[in-house]
Amino acid sequence: MINIDLLKEYFPDITVNDDYIFVEHDAFDVISFLKSKNYVDFDVLTQIIATDYVDFVQLSYRLYSTVSNDFLNVITNVQNETSSIVKLYKSAHFDECEIYDLFGINFIGNDNIHRLYMPESWVGHPLLKSYVQNDERLVWND
Amino acid sequence: MTNLLKTMEINVGPQHPSTHGVLRLVLELDGEIIKSCKPVVGYLHRGIEKMAESRSYLQYLPIVDRIDYLGGFFNSYAYCDCIENLLNVEIPVKAQYIRVLCMELNRIASHLLWLGTFMLDLGASSPLFYCFRDRERILHIFEALTGQRMMYNYFTFGGVRFDIPNEILEDISSFVEDMPECIKDYENIITTNPIFTSRCVNKGIITKRNALQYSITGANLRASGVGLDFRKSCPYLTYDNLEFDISYADGGDAYSRYKVRIFELYSSLKIVEQCIDFIRSSSEPILNKSVKPVMLNIPEGEYTSIVEASRGLTSCTVKAGGKTPYRVKWRTGSYYAVQLLPELLVNCEVADMMAIFGSLDVILPEVDK
Repeated sequence: MINIDLLKEYFPDITVNDDYIFVEHDAFDVISFLKSKNYVDFDVLTQIIATDYVDFVQLSYRLYSTVSNDFLNVITNVQNETSSIVKLYKSAHFDECEIYDLFGINFIGNDNIHRLYMPESWVGHPLLKSYVQNDERLVWND
Repeated sequence: MTNLLKTMEINVGPQHPSTHGVLRLVLELDGEIIKSCKPVVGYLHRGIEKMAESRSYLQYLPIVDRIDYLGGFFNSYAYCDCIENLLNVEIPVKAQYIRVLCMELNRIASHLLWLGTFMLDLGASSPLFYCFRDRERILHIFEALTGQRMMYNYFTFGGVRFDIPNEILEDISSFVEDMPECIKDYENIITTNPIFTSRCVNKGIITKRNALQYSITGANLRASGVGLDFRKSCPYLTYDNLEFDISYADGGDAYSRYKVRIFELYSSLKIVEQCIDFIRSSSEPILNKSVKPVMLNIPEGEYTSIVEASRGLTSCTVKAGGKTPYRVKWRTGSYYAVQLLPELLVNCEVADMMAIFGSLDVILPEVDK
């Protein structure tokens, strides 16, 4: 399992909880540390989940270790941009493009970022809560 | 001569018959050699994640089958599992076995479709008919059980909708009895066929490092020498009570992926057999009646389910927020396999492209969501 004391020593600002690690603004350094071989080798990034909380977008990086069979959740809150982790995990590229497309978050360090699903000319970012609000009539269990 | 004149850019798809949906590949060719490849996705984007935010939990349930229409049960289960965990409800053991049975039959159907179409991509048309003949038997069973051939909407929060009648169990057991012979037939036609082996052996090699870097899961990962199967490593439902083997191969090439999937057909049949025995002998309820799906109001919470689907790790994350989900996120296997394509195709011949792409078992609705 992960050694929390060692992690706290390197990164005093982070909050460690039972099921997640919370990092302010930018998770690149923490993820890079978690991936390194001398720590638990989190060798797979299963996915990046973005959620719009209106004031900020929460990014949740789901790491997995094939060695120890552990899942780890690294959470960070971002405004408009954050560091890309493509250098650490190549699988992050599509995830970052998707989040750029649907949430409008720019990933610094990913040179090839583009809209993944929507056409390049599309206006707006569909998964933001401010995007479309007129579908509420569909909820019929009031 | 400038570089521009030497290479040619062509589009494969989005309406290409062997892209299994609507994938567009922008290829840069130097003669017969692929110099670069850029996958363009999004032609089938239906906004499945956005739809969840304006529907109740129950209204969203029939939609999830459409994410991977060849493996509807896996998606249904991934979503139901989230809601059940958020509500803290137990599902009856019999319903768990029925779910495992459905998912394993679905895995067989999905692998059979893959095998048939993969062979068709390679130019062999007869395996397609054999595979579809046997897949049709599974679809008949599903139709009798759920009323649908593909989008089942059979699992519900707290269990399954209908019990399995004995006649259908008979059908399933006769299918399980006949199937090993059929798989042997496929193997006789395919496994040592010189045309097949020369097109697949050492083609499209995914190294172990690349597979992990690109987050490849499922049979594609196991063919690269990593014995990771979430049915074993994070057992869900009743998988820890069932006996089955997982296979892996070291080659990482298209041929290894074929071998691993063929083996999975046998191991799924073994699981189905054990489920039938249990379901026959059990007279438990199939639904936890304490869940009231129509009136669901789930307090804030978050859960991520982990399912080993036919195309790798499928996981659904539901962030609950009252009467509708606040956010639903799907993670699917094919999404990451498509991303690996440029790495596999560079410096390959055009003729090998479809053998490599076909062997990854990519389905596009799962990529585009």
